[in-house]
Amino acid sequence: MTTGWFDDKSRMTPAELQTVVFPTSRLGRRGYEEGPVREFLIAVHAEFVHLLNERTSLWQEVQRLRRRIIAGEGDGEPQAVLFGEADAHVHAVRILSTAQVTADQYVADAQDYSSRLTLEAKRRRDEIMQEAQRYSDMLLEDAHTKAREAAVSALNGAPAPQSDEKQQAAQAELAYLRTYSDVYRAHLRAYTEGILRGIEEWERKEAASLQEVAKAVPPGGPRAINGDASLHR
Amino acid sequence: MDVARLRESFAHVAVHGDELPLFFYSDLFLKHPEVRGMFPVSMAAQRGHLVDALVKIVSQVDSVDELTAFLQGLGRDHRKFGAVAEHYDAVGASLLTTLEHFSGPTWTPELAADWKAAYELIGSVMTAAASADEQLRPAWWRGTVVAHEPRSFDVSVLFVQPEPRMDYLPGQSVAIESSSRPRLWRYYSMANAPRQDGLLEFHIRLIDGGAVSMALTSSTVTGTELRLGPPVGVLTLSQPVSGRDLLLVAGSTGLAPLKAILDQVATLPQPPKVHLFFGARTIDGLYDLENLEKMAAQYSWLTITPAVSADPKFAGETGSLPDVVARHGDWSGHDAYLAGPTEMVRDAAARLASAGVAQDRIHIEDFGWSES
Repeated sequence: MTTGWFDDKSRMTPAELQTVVFPTSRLGRRGYEEGPVREFLIAVHAEFVHLLNERTSLWQEVQRLRRRIIAGEGDGEPQAVLFGEADAHVHAVRILSTAQVTADQYVADAQDYSSRLTLEAKRRRDEIMQEAQRYSDMLLEDAHTKAREAAVSALNGAPAPQSDEKQQAAQAELAYLRTYSDVYRAHLRAYTEGILRGIEEWERKEAASLQEVAKAVPPGGPRAINGDASLHR
Repeated sequence: MDVARLRESFAHVAVHGDELPLFFYSDLFLKHPEVRGMFPVSMAAQRGHLVDALVKIVSQVDSVDELTAFLQGLGRDHRKFGAVAEHYDAVGASLLTTLEHFSGPTWTPELAADWKAAYELIGSVMTAAASADEQLRPAWWRGTVVAHEPRSFDVSVLFVQPEPRMDYLPGQSVAIESSSRPRLWRYYSMANAPRQDGLLEFHIRLIDGGAVSMALTSSTVTGTELRLGPPVGVLTLSQPVSGRDLLLVAGSTGLAPLKAILDQVATLPQPPKVHLFFGARTIDGLYDLENLEKMAAQYSWLTITPAVSADPKFAGETGSLPDVVARHGDWSGHDAYLAGPTEMVRDAAARLASAGVAQDRIHIEDFGWSES
């Protein structure tokens, strides 16, 4: 080969793109934003690797055609090497690789989705907890105020025998607060239990579907998804 | 074997990035479909592992001792995946095919012979270590989950009964595979020293999108069987016991290995003074504080300081764990053991080192136990 492989020292390599450092401008904001430059370099690096791989494929193809020509000149039986066993294998490797990358992407997407769900659940949970905390702080503050008022009025000598009316009102207020707290607790419990039931149901379904999958997939693991099944078609 | 030539050759093919391991595994699976089942569905992480191992091998190829230790560990580690001698031949053949494919016209018979010799050496060190290990312990242990305790929103404590009994050093970890997430192994530390009944305690934190942690923190995990790899790790109490007091710094479920070390300290005839800092983002994250406080009440040598980083309402210490530890004074006379999220451990180790704790007295472990 006279075109030179990737050993020409004067050529740029993908590694250089990954490690290149630009001096930052001393005048503050006059240079490029670093982030987009980095992103661009990452894209260029990926493109570079892609081109290199494409070149390897093309080189293999050239070799194959060359072998075919030589064989054709030789024993006059070009069909024998038109697409030899080695070429078929490389071709199969490529198909399998593509299938694998697709499978990887599915798994990554699923993981990403599950990650977003958990994050969202965590966020919601934090909100609910904060809301509950705020509310309980409020109730507590309210109770404190009432207790303080009661204490102050008790201290203010003249035990000012509360009128029946006032006492009744206070008791009614107390009863109301008790009921309110009971109701609130019951609501909170029902809500929490509801969520838990939902989660348990979800888990059961998950476990059941996994068993189904396990039954459906022949021993030896999820072979079909790696794509070799399609090769034998 | 020409080391320089091997390195140059590897540098040539490495520019092809992910295509290299992609080609390798496809070639392997086409030639030996039966090994596909030994790998997870998604091969993305696996490809990274292969390239990392190759890079490490190629860069260390002339420091024989280090490389040998790495390869022996790798060989032992692969027993739990079911790797046997024939697999090594298959892998070697596919590796050569891959290198040849990407080397293009730079592939020569001499280079092929070099790679073949290098791989045979690698394979023989790995298989020798694996077969020596066979005499000592099983490839993996069957573990039955006997109890699952949800401790906080995202942390669960699991109790696992291994079969047969597993012996290990407090502070060590095992890789765990859940039957509902086949072929995905994640490292978790035992949170107790070996017990009479052999039961193992694990602290599992749910990682967003983490397949394994999700399976292990789900309540349906009780009664299921796990596979446990052999105990590994160097976060263990230095022997003989140094006599110095201990500083333990635990971030989140990094508590597990350090709690096992506490168990061990409790059995020493003259336990050193131990100060354990247990940090989390929120109060809720101090999932095992109750048990720790019980231990502190029981053992006069033990001091517990809980710390919370993102909840100013917390009555105790607040702030980042490395800050809290630094505030508590002079640790230069202590042996330090750190475990937790990688960043926290790195920060804390750096802070301690600059505060005069000798480097060889700072014990850390790093194999991404916090991964997923």
